[in-house]
Amino acid sequence: MEKKDIIQSFKDSLFTGLIALALFGPIVGLRTASKGEGLFITPQWGVVFLLVGLCILGRFLINLNSARKTEITFFSKFTSKFSAITEDKAKHFAITAILFAVVFPFLPFTDRYFMDVAIMILTYIMLGWGLNIVVGLAGLLDLGYVAFYAVGAYSYALIATTFGWSFWICLPLAGVFAAFFGILLGFPVLRLRGDYLAIVTLGFGEIIRIILINWYEVTNGPDGITGIPRPSFFGLPFKRSPDEGETSFHLFFNLEYSTMHRIIFLYYLILVLALITNYFTLKIRKLPVGRAWEALREDEIACKSLGVNPTNTKLTAFAIGAMFGGFAGSFFATRQAFISPESFTFIESAIIVAIVVLGGMGSQTGVVLASIFLIGITEMFRDLEQYRMIAFGGAMVLIMVFKPKGILANRKPTILMHGDKK
Amino acid sequence: MSNLLSVENLTMKFGGLTAIDDLSFDAKNNQITSIIGPNGAGKTTVFNCLTGFYKPTNGQMFLHKEDSKISLRKYTDFKIAYVAKVARTFQNIRLFPAMSVLENLLVAQHNELMVASGYSLFGLLNLKTYRDKEQLAVDKAKYWLDIIGLTHRADDNAGDLPYGDQRKLEIVRAMCIEPRLLCLDEPAAGLNPKESAELNKLLKFIKTEKQTGILLIEHDMSVVMGISDHVVVLNYGKKIFEGTADQTKNSKEVIEAYLGVDE
Repeated sequence: MEKKDIIQSFKDSLFTGLIALALFGPIVGLRTASKGEGLFITPQWGVVFLLVGLCILGRFLINLNSARKTEITFFSKFTSKFSAITEDKAKHFAITAILFAVVFPFLPFTDRYFMDVAIMILTYIMLGWGLNIVVGLAGLLDLGYVAFYAVGAYSYALIATTFGWSFWICLPLAGVFAAFFGILLGFPVLRLRGDYLAIVTLGFGEIIRIILINWYEVTNGPDGITGIPRPSFFGLPFKRSPDEGETSFHLFFNLEYSTMHRIIFLYYLILVLALITNYFTLKIRKLPVGRAWEALREDEIACKSLGVNPTNTKLTAFAIGAMFGGFAGSFFATRQAFISPESFTFIESAIIVAIVVLGGMGSQTGVVLASIFLIGITEMFRDLEQYRMIAFGGAMVLIMVFKPKGILANRKPTILMHGDKK
Repeated sequence: MSNLLSVENLTMKFGGLTAIDDLSFDAKNNQITSIIGPNGAGKTTVFNCLTGFYKPTNGQMFLHKEDSKISLRKYTDFKIAYVAKVARTFQNIRLFPAMSVLENLLVAQHNELMVASGYSLFGLLNLKTYRDKEQLAVDKAKYWLDIIGLTHRADDNAGDLPYGDQRKLEIVRAMCIEPRLLCLDEPAAGLNPKESAELNKLLKFIKTEKQTGILLIEHDMSVVMGISDHVVVLNYGKKIFEGTADQTKNSKEVIEAYLGVDE
C-alpha cells in the first residue's frame, strides 16, 4: 500500500472520530446524577475518549482492509466455511440445530437465565420468520410489524381474561385477528412501494400503539392487562397447589414441584410455534402463491403483464405474515401474564426488521443466526445496563461491514429442472 | 384469414398532447403485424392502451374470438393477460432477475397453478393432483426452453443470462400464458445480427405453430421486413401508411417521415 493511501485513510478515520465525538460527547460525556437536592452534571470524558478512540481505530482498520481489497482472512474463512455448511448440508445443519434446541433445557449448564434468553431468542426468530414472508419474499418493507404482535397479544389477553377460554382456542383466534389487521393495513398501501410503504407501515404501528394507550375502557390504557391466564399442559395447570377438583402438572406426573416445569413447557411451546412458522414458509415458498410473492418483489409490472393479481398476492403476504406475528404475540402475552403498550414500541419493529435484513433477505437460517447474534450479544452485555444497546449497534455495524448483503444471502430456486447437481 | 384484433378510432391524450390520434387498424390471426415509425410516434402508447396500462381517451379495441368479440377497454391491469389473454413484452427487459429461468416460466402459469393448488390448500397438503399439474407446468416450460435452446440453464438465475437470451426468455415467458395476441415491444433492440436471425426464427415458429397473432414494434428494419405480413406506419400519433412490407419499403410517405422532405 502506498503512503498516500495511508494518509488518506488516516484523515478519513480522524473525520469518523469527529462524528463519533459529536455523538458520544453529549450522550455519554454528560451524565446527570442526583446529589442531595437536584440534578448535577458529572462529565465522563474518559469514557468518551475511549469510545472515540475505538471508532477511529476501527475505521482505520476497515480502511486498511478495504484498501487490500480482500476480507480479513480469518473472517472470510469462517463465513465461507459457514455458508458452505449451511448450503451443502442444509438438511444436516437444520436437523442438528433442531436436535440441539430440543435437548437444550436438559443440558447441565442450562439454568433459568439461559432458558429465559432462549425463549426470547426463539420469540424473535418466530417474528423474524413471520416478517420474512412480507419483507424477504414479497419485498414489502414493513416497519410496523410490531402492530400485529400487539394485536395478537391483546386479542389473546382480552379473550382469555373476558371469556376464560383456554390457550389453544385463543391462539388461533389471535392469529385470525392479526391476519385481519394485516389485510386492513394491506388495503391502503396496495399502491405504495419502497420508502413510501415503509413510512405508512411505520405510522400504522404507531396508530395501533396509540389506540392501545388511549382506548382505556377496553385495553386498560397504559396500565396494561394483568392476570392473563398461563397456558396449561393439555388441561393440567402448572400450579403448586391446584384448585378443588383439579390436578396440576407435577401431581399428575408425580414430580417435585418446580417453576422450571412451566419455563420448559413455554420453551417447547415457542419452539414448536416457530418450527411451524418455518415449515409453513418453506412449503408455501414452493407453491404458486410463494413464487408470485417473489415475482412481485422482483418486478410488479411484469407480474401484471403475466396475469398475476397483485392485490390478492400482496394481501395474502400481509395476512399470513401478520398471522404469525399474532401467534407470537399471544405466546408473549401468556408468558408474561402482563402486557402493556410499552412492550410494542417502534424499537421492537426495528429489531425484527434488523434481524430479517441482517440475516439475509428471505433466508430462514439467516434469521436464526441474526437473532442469536443480535439478541444474544445484547443479553451477554446485560451487566452494562443501558450501554448494552451499544453492543446491539456494534453487532449491527459488524454485520453491515463484513456481510453487507446479510449473513446468508444466497437464494435457492424453489423448483429445479435438472435436480440437485451435488 | 380471420381478424384477431381491430382497433377503431383509438385516441390517447396526455393533457394537451395527443399521443395517438384517431388510429384504426386490424391485426389477423397467425400473422405478424408490425407497427413502425420514428421515435415518439406513439408506438409504445398503442401497446400500453392495448395491454391495459393506459385507459385510452377515445376509441375501441376488440379482440375477436370464434364468433364473439370482446372489448379490451373493459379489462385493465392484470385482467388483460388473465381474461383477455393478451401478453406483452417490454422495451427494457422485465424478467424476474433473482429467480431461476424455470421459475420465471412458472410464474407465467400462475393462475392455472393457483387453481390446481386449491389456492395453496392442496399444495400445502402436497396432494397428487397438484403435483401432477405442477409437473405439466414444468413440461410446458421445458417445451419452450427446448425451442430457444436454454434448457441447460433452466436452474440459473434469469438475471445471469446473456442479453439476447433474456430477450428470448421474455418472449417465451409471455407465450406460457397461451396468449391469443402477443405484443412485442422492440424485441430486437440491442441484439447482434446472429441473435436477431434467431429471433426471426422464433417469431416465425410462434406465428405458424401457435394460434397466436403477433403485434410487433420494431426499429430494426431487417427484422421488420424479414417477417412482417402487414406493416402499420405511425408518425406523430397518426397512421400514415398501411400495407405489406414491400409496399412500405417503396412508399413515398414512409420515406418522407423517416428521412424528411426534399426542399
